[in-house]
Amino acid sequence: MSLSDKAWSPYAAGIVIGMLQIPAFLLIETALGASSSYVTAGAALVGLVDPSLLQIDYVARHVAANAKNLWQVALVMGIALGAFASMKLSGAVRASVSPIWTTALGSSSRPLRYAVAFVAGFLMLFGARIADGCTSGHGLSGMAQLSVGSTVAVAAMFAGGIVTALLLLRRV
Amino acid sequence: MSSVAVGILSGVLMGIVFGFALEKSRVFEPGMIVGQMQLRNWIMLKVFLSAVATGAVVLAFLHGFGFAKLQPKAALYAADIVGGLILGAGIALAGACPGTTLAQIGVGYRDAIFTLLGGLSGAVAFSYAQPWLAKSLISSGPKLIFTELVGIPYWQGALALAAVIIVILFLIERLRPWRADLGSNFDGNVSGKASPRDRLAPAE
Repeated sequence: MSLSDKAWSPYAAGIVIGMLQIPAFLLIETALGASSSYVTAGAALVGLVDPSLLQIDYVARHVAANAKNLWQVALVMGIALGAFASMKLSGAVRASVSPIWTTALGSSSRPLRYAVAFVAGFLMLFGARIADGCTSGHGLSGMAQLSVGSTVAVAAMFAGGIVTALLLLRRV
Repeated sequence: MSSVAVGILSGVLMGIVFGFALEKSRVFEPGMIVGQMQLRNWIMLKVFLSAVATGAVVLAFLHGFGFAKLQPKAALYAADIVGGLILGAGIALAGACPGTTLAQIGVGYRDAIFTLLGGLSGAVAFSYAQPWLAKSLISSGPKLIFTELVGIPYWQGALALAAVIIVILFLIERLRPWRADLGSNFDGNVSGKASPRDRLAPAE
């Protein structure tokens, strides 16, 4: 297992990710999560144009410049850096859109893929904020903490994902 | 150093490790995530369950020895189910989740920029609707964990969960070795339907 490998075993990578709970709980007193950073970043931006958004309690809690909010925004930005570094070290060259989409969508149209991606992102975050967590917060962290609500949320996530992929996407 | 500076610095460093592991495991690839949702690629479940089991062992110790408090989210069943279903539909169509979207941007997947913009819009739309949704759908609930239901210490339940996951992973790996799910270009594209040119296309 080296830093220049094209792929690690999913078990090794999963252990590395699970270990990140140590600094999260000890330094930030929180669990790994990703989706609230979208509220912090999105609401801070839109708040510049519509300050009334920042008056909503929920938004005020998320845009407050405290360690926990900024930690998560920094975390997701770090994810992009880490993935970039790993790709460069492995010498992998990627197409600008994954080739699976031509099969899955039944079309090689870029505008179609971009439109689907935008709608998908919207659904992802709207759903994650209703559920109060995503694959990281409910999935990795909630299940590790034996949270009852998180287990329900993860079951719903996979159910929604499986039904959507079977009904709307072609077999890749 | 202020707590905010510690937060940002540790966030970036932890994110780099997180993103590195997501890229190395290939789980951030749309091919892996769509493949998992179509029940023919098992890398995502393997990474996910390994991380859950590791987190459970880590937290069994941190909590058991009193180094950390648990931070479970409240059980809001209606919101967990409705939100989870919508989130899942989004994950399948994005071929990503909120965290892996950033990994896709890091490696240069251009559609992931649209996923991110859609995600920010979805988060803002939710924020506008939150005061109303909080009263109707989301409501409030207890921070419930399974070991409280059966009356045993958390660390015992966490280690039991990790043990069960390890058994499940051994069984899945016997049925479907992880290397078989990688694809020739390590992107989960195992169908061979794409032309060789597509698979080897350099970044544009």
